Amino acid sequence: MGKPKAIVDKNICLACGGCISVCPQDALYMNGGRALVTEEKCISCAICIRICPIGAISGRNASNEI
Amino acid sequence: MKYDAVVVGAGPAGTVTARFAAESGAKVLVIERRQEIGSPVLCGEGVSRKIDEWGMLDGKRWIANKMEGARIYSPDGTMVKLSAEMAGNETGYVVYRDIFDQELARKASEAGAKILMNTNATELLTEKDKIIGVKAKRYDEDLEIEADIVVGCDGVESKIGQWAGIETRLDPKDLETCCQYTLTNIDCKDAFCDFYLGKKIAPGGYVWIFPKGKDIANVGIGVLGNLSESGMPKKLLDDFISNNPNLKNGNPIRFLAGAVPVANPVESVRDNLILVGDSARQVDPITGGGITHCLEAGKIAGETIGKAVEQQQFDKETLSVYETGWKEAFGKKLKRNYMLKEIFLDFEDKTLNMLADSIKDIKFDEISTFGLVKALVLKHPTLLMKLRPLMKISSEV
Ligand SMILES: Cc1cc2nc3c(=O)[nH]c(=O)nc-3n(C[C@H](O)[C@H](O)[C@H](O)COP(=O)(O)OP(=O)(O)OC[C@H]3O[C@@H](n4cnc5c(N)ncnc54)[C@H](O)[C@@H]3O)c2cc1C
Ligand code: SF4
Ligand code: SF4
Repeated sequence: MGKPKAIVDKNICLACGGCISVCPQDALYMNGGRALVTEEKCISCAICIRICPIGAISGRNASNEI
Repeated sequence: MKYDAVVVGAGPAGTVTARFAAESGAKVLVIERRQEIGSPVLCGEGVSRKIDEWGMLDGKRWIANKMEGARIYSPDGTMVKLSAEMAGNETGYVVYRDIFDQELARKASEAGAKILMNTNATELLTEKDKIIGVKAKRYDEDLEIEADIVVGCDGVESKIGQWAGIETRLDPKDLETCCQYTLTNIDCKDAFCDFYLGKKIAPGGYVWIFPKGKDIANVGIGVLGNLSESGMPKKLLDDFISNNPNLKNGNPIRFLAGAVPVANPVESVRDNLILVGDSARQVDPITGGGITHCLEAGKIAGETIGKAVEQQQFDKETLSVYETGWKEAFGKKLKRNYMLKEIFLDFEDKTLNMLADSIKDIKFDEISTFGLVKALVLKHPTLLMKLRPLMKISSEV
């Protein structure tokens, strides 16, 4: 089991771009007014999770798809 | 499609740059991924009255409210009152930012710039490492837009800069993570922008109340990224509102999340490339205000592009006129306020209380950080050590 990757809850995200500007791996991008994670690039550092002002990002296990 | 300049992002930085470039004779295209310029609003909507002098906007439709000044509250509630002139950049008007941005876009288009909406830049177009335009996606269509100059005005995300190899990624300590309600049914008859400081209220940031009318205000919070946790800004703002007798009965008609770079500026020119606004980190690190800088820098960028087109020279050296220009206009202020931000961060709440208490009755004849620092040091000589680097740079401003 890999480390949990970041996942954005698209019902909560308000597209502020904060997570994108701090991700050290360039793993986040804006798509259709919501932030999205490129899982292959994510190193599970959780910086984006801490940055999100409204708690829209959490960790999920790559092998445990929701 | 071939242009003199392609501007990525139709915020104030992008449209002002486009306008002045077009006015100086350049063929300009602005691309914007949103479907409506200025919407959704991601801003506190406070702007300095300096904007009147520049005359970049027609009419008054974009003004919601005119401010008399600002009040800063220290953690124990001590209030320091500043007139609009003294309060600096972000108090003067509270604006309708969507209308504001659309007006700037209208002016750009009036000057001859073309604007293409629903168009998302996805990478730089290069030829043997030379930037020759951008690739973009418009709905399902892939576009290749050729241009002699690519202008990155893509805001806090600043991907254009990153793609060009400029380190635009932010350290969490250089980002204010924010959210804001627009609350109705509250009392804000006196037209003051209010700022609340304190480690418990907003670690490394502040809560603001910017009145848009007599009974409606933007009530927001910024927390410094390295001191924040998932969802903390929203939680602290909700707490602030529910503990405030005036605000707690308010009804929210808008909620937004936001991210403000409070970093040192990055390189703003390379061969065939210019960055303007938040993407170049041209935000005041103390107040988080960026709009006026976008306007100032955008004008200089646009004029620089005009000259470059005239000379058909698009190398870094030619475009550096822009970097020199904006640094002359407000570069020192940014540098000074970045230092001030670092100094403030170390202050305990009781130091902030003491500072507020010492200056609350002072009438400043000298409206400058230098004057303020001098007044503080006279009362509290021990502060001198901490503030010395600031004194040096302030005296140069
Ligand atoms: C919560 C909050 C409160 C603020 N309050 C104030 C205030 O009271 N006063 C003040 O002066 N400043 C304030 N600011 C800062 C101010 O909003 C910014 O400085 C200003 O918006 C920067 O303008 P800009 O043109 O650089 O970027 P933006 O206004 O962010 O515009 C960037 C544009 O680029 C577009 N874009 C991004 N990437 C792409 C792409 N790949 N392709 C196409 N388009 C793209 C975006 O959709 C956007 O329209 C606040 C910011 C926040 C978040
Ligand atoms: S920080 Fe949160 S609200 Fe902002 S873009 Fe990222 S997920 Fe969305
Ligand atoms: S967890 Fe780290 S690497 Fe993964 S998306 Fe978030 S910031 Fe980027």
